[in-house]
Amino acid sequence: MNENFEPKIIGFLCNWCSYAGADLAGSSRISYPSNVRVIRVPCSGRVNPLFVLRCLIKGADGVLVSGCHINDCHYSEGNYHARRRFAVLKQLLDYLGIDSRRFQMSWVSAAEGDKWAKVVSGMVEEIKKAGPNKQFK
Amino acid sequence: MIKKLQEEVKKLLAEKKVNMVIGYARAGDAINAIPYFIANPEECGALIWDKTCIYNLTNYLIDMRNKKVGIIVKGCDVRSVVCLIQENQIKKENVIVIGLQCAGVFDKKGAELGAVGRERAAKCKSCNVHTPPLFDILIEDKEMNQKVLQQEDSYKEIREIENKSPEERFDYWKKELSKCIKCYACRQVCPLCYCPVCVADQTMPQWFSRSLSLEGNFAWNTVRAFHLAGRCIDCGECERVCPMGIPLRKINKKLEKEVKELFGHESGVDAEKKPLFSTFSKDDPEEFIK
Repeated sequence: MNENFEPKIIGFLCNWCSYAGADLAGSSRISYPSNVRVIRVPCSGRVNPLFVLRCLIKGADGVLVSGCHINDCHYSEGNYHARRRFAVLKQLLDYLGIDSRRFQMSWVSAAEGDKWAKVVSGMVEEIKKAGPNKQFK
Repeated sequence: MIKKLQEEVKKLLAEKKVNMVIGYARAGDAINAIPYFIANPEECGALIWDKTCIYNLTNYLIDMRNKKVGIIVKGCDVRSVVCLIQENQIKKENVIVIGLQCAGVFDKKGAELGAVGRERAAKCKSCNVHTPPLFDILIEDKEMNQKVLQQEDSYKEIREIENKSPEERFDYWKKELSKCIKCYACRQVCPLCYCPVCVADQTMPQWFSRSLSLEGNFAWNTVRAFHLAGRCIDCGECERVCPMGIPLRKINKKLEKEVKELFGHESGVDAEKKPLFSTFSKDDPEEFIK
């Protein structure tokens, strides 16, 4: 495997928690890998499983969906719906032979800049092990 | 049994309880069955019921959602009626379900195989709903009750695939899904694929490639399966109509198994229950979330 491989990760971040959390990580000058390309969404419940699938098929090395902690959703229950949906999607992707490390999910609140940094570092580490996504090339 | 069926349908039509009854009749080739729509009580003699009645007729209910319709269903088919009621596609009071006790049907049309050597369909071998769980009128099969209906392990093939390594699994699906010619027969025949505009037909935005590329085939088949997660009732029609012989049931079954294990959800059992993804529980599993 290429030592210099830098994974491309697409991050779907909820506007109210994770996006602010990532922002906090930046303004607190916490250093973490710059592999995540962030797409801001209103809620983790906004993320259609099709988004994740399309990212992976189009060649993203990883997809991270991040939202508010359970009970903290700005829209009360969006993250409950997301949790249910992605639990099933994760199983389906794994069954179809797509490395289960490539799709991950996390709850990061607006106050958890350090957690955001940890989540991203951990994910980049794992995807470096999984290698580049060449399945659909 | 057929006599009883014909009488019941005749009664329904004569008493004007329904505008139409959807059932099965003999096809022109004298081997197969075809869907049959009856509005005239005098035509009830044409109704048949045997192992050639493989279709799930529920598909037609969507087109007749504002009419009073009687429908002849097997145990598996009735679950799609329940799903359609759950999803507010049809009204319970508009449908009269004529349930048939069923010991299993053939897996393919007779004309494709000749009249001999026809097997019981794979879905029937692992079936546990020989008597429809919901019905307004039940047509009993006295002979069937005495037979021992052995139920095979329905998830055996799924576990075989699960036990492979991710690379092997991907290669397996790559090989199977590369056969896909995007005819969308699986979608057309599915009683639960009723969106007026399918995501596969959308061009703004176009979600996935329509070409016969690996990415297009993978995307379509994954999306089709995911849209049926927690809804698929395993009538097996998608796999039966697939001209390329893709084992679509193996994907559907996997999702059925997962939603059962994760959320204890079974589709098409209780018309009062909400569909899987319209609701949630506070204790849904979240081990996979960081």
